Amino acid sequence: MDEKRNELKKIIMNTKTLPTLPGVINKLNSLSDNDKSSVQEMARIVSSDQVLSARILRLANSPSYGFYRVSTISNAMILLGVNVVKSLALSSSIFEIMEKDSVGLWEHSLGTGVAANLIATRLGLPEREEIATAGLLHDIGKVIISLKCSAAEDEVRRVIKEKHIYMREAEQEVIDTDHAEVGAWLAKSWFLPDKLSEPINCHHNVEASENHRIKTAVVHMADVLIKASGFGDSGDDYVPRIQQAAWDALKLNDQIVAELVEEMEDKLVEVKNFSLELQQGANAAPN
Amino acid sequence: MLPPIRISLVSSDAQLISQLQLRLQSRGYQASAMSYADGVLGACYSDPPDLLIIDLFADGGAGTAIIAALRSDSFFSTIPIIGLVSPADHESFPWDTCALDDVVFLPVDFSEFFCRIALSLSRIKRIFDNNPLTRLPGNTSIQRAIEDAMGKPLAVCHVDINHFKPYNDVFGFSHGDEVLRMLSRIMFNAVRDAGGGFCGHIGGDDFAFITSQTQVEAVCRTIIDHFDRIVLDLFDEATKKQGYYNGTNRKGEMEKIPLLSITIAVVSMDSDKIRHVAKVAEVAADLKRRIKETGGSRYMVDQRSN
Repeated sequence: MDEKRNELKKIIMNTKTLPTLPGVINKLNSLSDNDKSSVQEMARIVSSDQVLSARILRLANSPSYGFYRVSTISNAMILLGVNVVKSLALSSSIFEIMEKDSVGLWEHSLGTGVAANLIATRLGLPEREEIATAGLLHDIGKVIISLKCSAAEDEVRRVIKEKHIYMREAEQEVIDTDHAEVGAWLAKSWFLPDKLSEPINCHHNVEASENHRIKTAVVHMADVLIKASGFGDSGDDYVPRIQQAAWDALKLNDQIVAELVEEMEDKLVEVKNFSLELQQGANAAPN
Repeated sequence: MLPPIRISLVSSDAQLISQLQLRLQSRGYQASAMSYADGVLGACYSDPPDLLIIDLFADGGAGTAIIAALRSDSFFSTIPIIGLVSPADHESFPWDTCALDDVVFLPVDFSEFFCRIALSLSRIKRIFDNNPLTRLPGNTSIQRAIEDAMGKPLAVCHVDINHFKPYNDVFGFSHGDEVLRMLSRIMFNAVRDAGGGFCGHIGGDDFAFITSQTQVEAVCRTIIDHFDRIVLDLFDEATKKQGYYNGTNRKGEMEKIPLLSITIAVVSMDSDKIRHVAKVAEVAADLKRRIKETGGSRYMVDQRSN
């Protein structure tokens, strides 16, 4: 069974780029050059997209630049420069297949990033932007699996339907690994810093997180809350419990969680509007 | 064994490209092929090749646009570029404005093709005034740029990093180098976004940039703001909170070392006082002495010239 795993790992080591949603690309394309407001808008659009964010962080952390730990989009934009970021974004290939599924996953990722930011803010944690970025990227493994092993992905979806289990469990059954591990492989092979790769790797197993447990706990909790809210589509409809390790690491209590849920619901209305705006942009533009 | 030399091929002629690719690979080069539709610029940015070969025959201007974009960013401008040009175009081709390193006429004569590739790669090693660490132009270019700026409404700015040496000692050279690379990118992007100018690396933690006098203070503020933000990524939470780390000072005594910051000295070039390049450095050094090390990043404009 190790064969499948190794094969997948090899594919990931050779993955240099991933496609982005057309709405995101069109929106970036419509920004005018050399305008201060559009620079900020660009940062906002880029940091709404898990794939684009991952690509830009990959570039900022690539050995050819010689920076070792760029973990936020705003710092990547400072270092790479607006021109480089824009060209890179516009040269992304576009998701054509499974448009509908990709939008669901994109919304889930964006929602988790937003929720992670809210949680970090509410708890007064340092490095909020890093935590939000880790939340945004946490399911990047699913993008790779659906893209590089579409047959396996169909099988995973079939198993979920048949056995009523979590996506992660179905993945283990079909490809002998799961999206968390796959995502972490990608993060490592793209030289993303540990404060991003560890939450990606451990967002379903907070206890396994050694160096960045707080960040991992926030991402885990954000993922659970977003699934519970029904926002986006993460691949299965089952909501796990918030793990005890996360509860402990963040010193949570029922009241904090209740307040966070309320705050999050308000914020998700905004996020939904942004998502619809991008999707309309995608449909309006001729291809 | 050294990693293979990586060459990117750009052409919309699929047949030509596969032929070239095959030939290059047979010579041990790692050749990747791109058509104009593939987002060549993004590919170069995300994975800079060692050499770019670009077909400029009937490309509709796309090739020259790519060349111009690469040349305008010091980080990529040193990539050698060989253009494939039709002999029929040799009169009309914009040799002056299209910054090619070399040319090969179509149809490709392969023995010539390989010689030109080898020469382009060896030339880059020789004529490299650019600092190998930051890829910014070095002192020869800086001198020339300051000479050109004299008497014009431009400002020459000297940038240096405060408490850089102890940082290097405590965290190691590779992290020190990272800081230098970061500052060079921040400076370059800020100058470019303000409409352009010149950036150079004097050496060590000393840099220089030139921009218009009307923009210079905004550029200084951007550089300081961005540097101060990036610096936060370099220290752990505990260090950031207390605002210092422990290290040895110049006298070898243990001391609390503040976080990294920068000082920028701004010298206006249309002043009567500045008649010689050396004078610029003198005025800048004098300014820096007057910017007391109060902690934190600062810039100061030479007031006496106004």
